[in-house]
Amino acid sequence: MPAGHGQRARTRDLFARPFRKKGPTHLSTYLRIYKIGEYVDVKVNGSIHKGMPHKFYHGRTGRVWNVTKRAIGVEVNKQVGNRIIKKRIHVRVEHVQPSRCHEEVLLRIKKNDQLKAEAKAQGKIISTKRKPEGPKPGFMVEGATLETVTPIPYDVVNDLKGGY
Amino acid sequence: MAFVKAQKSKAYFKRFQVKFKRRRMGKTDYRARIRLINQDKNKYNTPKYRFVVRFTNKDIICQIVSASIAGDHVLAAAYAHELPHYGLEVGLTNYSAAYCTGLLLSRRVLKKLEMDEEYEGNVEATGEDYSVEPAESRRPFRALLDVGLIKTTTGNRVFGALKGALDGGLDIPHSDKRFAGFNKDSKQLDAEVHRKYIYGGHIASYMRTLMEDEPEKYQSHFSEYIKRGIEADNIEEVYKKVHAAIRADPTEKKSGKQPPKEHKRYNLKKLTYEERKTKLIERLNALNSAAGNDDEDEEDNE
Repeated sequence: MPAGHGQRARTRDLFARPFRKKGPTHLSTYLRIYKIGEYVDVKVNGSIHKGMPHKFYHGRTGRVWNVTKRAIGVEVNKQVGNRIIKKRIHVRVEHVQPSRCHEEVLLRIKKNDQLKAEAKAQGKIISTKRKPEGPKPGFMVEGATLETVTPIPYDVVNDLKGGY
Repeated sequence: MAFVKAQKSKAYFKRFQVKFKRRRMGKTDYRARIRLINQDKNKYNTPKYRFVVRFTNKDIICQIVSASIAGDHVLAAAYAHELPHYGLEVGLTNYSAAYCTGLLLSRRVLKKLEMDEEYEGNVEATGEDYSVEPAESRRPFRALLDVGLIKTTTGNRVFGALKGALDGGLDIPHSDKRFAGFNKDSKQLDAEVHRKYIYGGHIASYMRTLMEDEPEKYQSHFSEYIKRGIEADNIEEVYKKVHAAIRADPTEKKSGKQPPKEHKRYNLKKLTYEERKTKLIERLNALNSAAGNDDEDEEDNE
């Protein structure tokens, strides 16, 4: 029999539910809200058969571009040949999780806004730019003693004692 | 003793997947809950309210609840044990009491949201199917009936509570198929029968039957009713008064009692390491002294 290349081909393990997590999905999946522009991870929930994305998109992260009654529109990058296309797919909310890839940026934005507001209140000028790790600072070596090592002249008698 | 092969091995327990906690406790039907709570994603944070009705052996609980990830949030609640404030002290879990509790909850919610003047609901309970009409300024308060795990048969008390909430002015999608008095053959709701149930007519007829056939059983069964002078003929008036009292002032009455500062302990307090050690030493000493006494007795006897 030939191989078969259907939509869910080769997804026996990929779409399987994790160990001891089979059965109904927990309610917070349905209670989360997604806004346009947020980043989401696409992770297929094999027990929900509707609104499943193709296996290519499992594990991809994209931005939300549309919100409908039960599904989210996600814009994901896909390499086709020699270029990367932005593909727009619709996925039910059970197959989507909020992504933490953007979390650090959002926190930094908040912190920077706060710092800038404080600096403005005090009249100071600050730079909120991140700086890469520079070279380590110089230090004095403590407790160093000098031990001079010199070569000793070759002594035939002593060396041959063992094996001759 | 026969050798019994261990049925549940270690491997069994390692692979065992527990159901959700509330399913293990048999309290929540998750299939129904998912469908009740799921809000359209393009409605974002708009809460979806459920009209929750639960019956215990001696009480009725009606709540308006909205779900969140941190936990469900109760907007308003009404209990059958509050009905004594409105003049009903007996029969707190029957169909009529359920109607009163549903009515009390709906009036409470509308008052809280300042919609009670706009949405009076059905002031005179006739038993007919009544749905709220939208008023000019605000749309009616919408909730979905959450029955929990009960069997939804025609004439169940949850539908009594539902009728109470509807007559109070809430917008709850429903059909009259399960109200008491719905005729399966003619597929129509007999409003007269439903009205009888709302005003305790079924209790009155049972009272009359018992009075005729078994007067002693009537005295023992309806003793609390007799004590308060409620008889088969004036049951309806009692409920009419309760409905009026509920509509007059549905706000909660705070009881004067304050919650106790120290809560009563229902399980044993865990002992610390030192406490356990001292307890052990005491026990050993007691054992030794008892054994010592026995030795002394033996020596004395000898």
